[in-house]
Amino acid sequence: MTDLNDAILAAHARDDGRALVTLYAQAADQSRDVDTACFFLTCAYIYALELGVPDAAALYARLDAHGRV
Amino acid sequence: MARTDLSVVRKPIEQAQGLPNAHYIDADVFEEEKHAVLFSSWAGLAVAADVPQIGDAKPIEFLGIPLLLVRDRDNAVRVFQNSCRHRGMILVSEPKKIEGAIRCPYHSWCYSTAGKLVSTPHVGGAGLNTHPAINKDELGLTEVRSHIYFDTVFINVDGKADPFDVVHADLMDRWREFDQPLHHGGPESHFDLEVQTNWKLAVENYCESYHLPWVHPGLNSYSRLEDHYHIQAQGKYSGQGTLVYQQLKGPDEAVFPDFQALDAKWNTGAEYIAIYPNVLLGAQRDHCFAIILQPDTQGRTTEHIHLYYAQPKTSEDMRTRNAHLWKTVFEEDIFVVEGMQKGRQSPLFDGGRFSPAMDGPTHNFHDWVAGKVQDHRARQDT
Repeated sequence: MTDLNDAILAAHARDDGRALVTLYAQAADQSRDVDTACFFLTCAYIYALELGVPDAAALYARLDAHGRV
Repeated sequence: MARTDLSVVRKPIEQAQGLPNAHYIDADVFEEEKHAVLFSSWAGLAVAADVPQIGDAKPIEFLGIPLLLVRDRDNAVRVFQNSCRHRGMILVSEPKKIEGAIRCPYHSWCYSTAGKLVSTPHVGGAGLNTHPAINKDELGLTEVRSHIYFDTVFINVDGKADPFDVVHADLMDRWREFDQPLHHGGPESHFDLEVQTNWKLAVENYCESYHLPWVHPGLNSYSRLEDHYHIQAQGKYSGQGTLVYQQLKGPDEAVFPDFQALDAKWNTGAEYIAIYPNVLLGAQRDHCFAIILQPDTQGRTTEHIHLYYAQPKTSEDMRTRNAHLWKTVFEEDIFVVEGMQKGRQSPLFDGGRFSPAMDGPTHNFHDWVAGKVQDHRARQDT
């Protein structure tokens, strides 16, 4: 996760919302438990929602599947 | 705060005097008028052209209230309080395009451009985005009542005024011929003037023609005082009209295209009306304008001027010339409104006497302001 963590911090530093959607989704995929995954999915979803990108629907569906929205 | 005596203001023009000095120079009276006059009526905030594209958002502070002007996904222009329903954080601090949702920069609560609260991340704990106590349907952005007329965004802050199209039915009827697309002339057709005066003096100067021969001598050769007439509707608006409007001529005598199907009276006629409290409009056969007076303090006003045309594509050179022409005219008025402001520092100035023949539109405005303040005081007393 260290490389991914660095990439997320770098994306935050350059205010790159599109990258944050992808990177937080990757962090969710690499999580070992549902709660952690949903934390990262939420972050990815919020940036997708802000940007209005199509990823938002799929991310919402993943959260919905876990009863998180 | 000692209340000003407004009884003499409301007398017939032959006996009336103008609003007392305090209504121009006193911070407490400015605060009183904010509620009595500006929040209780339909005040001009901006123009719809400030947010020309879907998703455009512009934060605007109006008399200390942080507001957000947004063009939503359905192309409707809306005005919201620019603060999150969670912790009151300012949502948008610079003009921007909302691509998807309005995300609060603090805890990332997200709102649609129509103001609906759409997501509350981690509100129930990490990764839990709902909580039984947080009903998103009840926590949308607080919308301020708004109405668009002449591309101007009017707002009623206290939410209690009669509907705009009821209050101004007669004006809308008077100018119904201009109920057609107005095309903003673009960046060169917008300019701001910061003036060291109370906002009301800008209204008063605009709505009377009495000063034209002295302050705008360039008009005397073709638009004399006797070519003008008064316009006044008690309790609503006032202004002036001219019978000798002349179009700007470009190379080869080119003119701006006319608005469609106007009555012949507009061939040489034009009207300039102040819609109370703070919007100044001009209607002419080939272009219109809107001036939003932004009251900054009791002694400072920012005038936002926007010019509109009948067609979307007109000569940029002529638009630039036209904006320059109007800017020259409006700048000629600055020494007057700033001079009247300074004059009101004279403690023995009694509000001034009106010319019954020439100052009807100005007295009409004073009477309206005084009435609004009196109504406000009566509500406070009950």
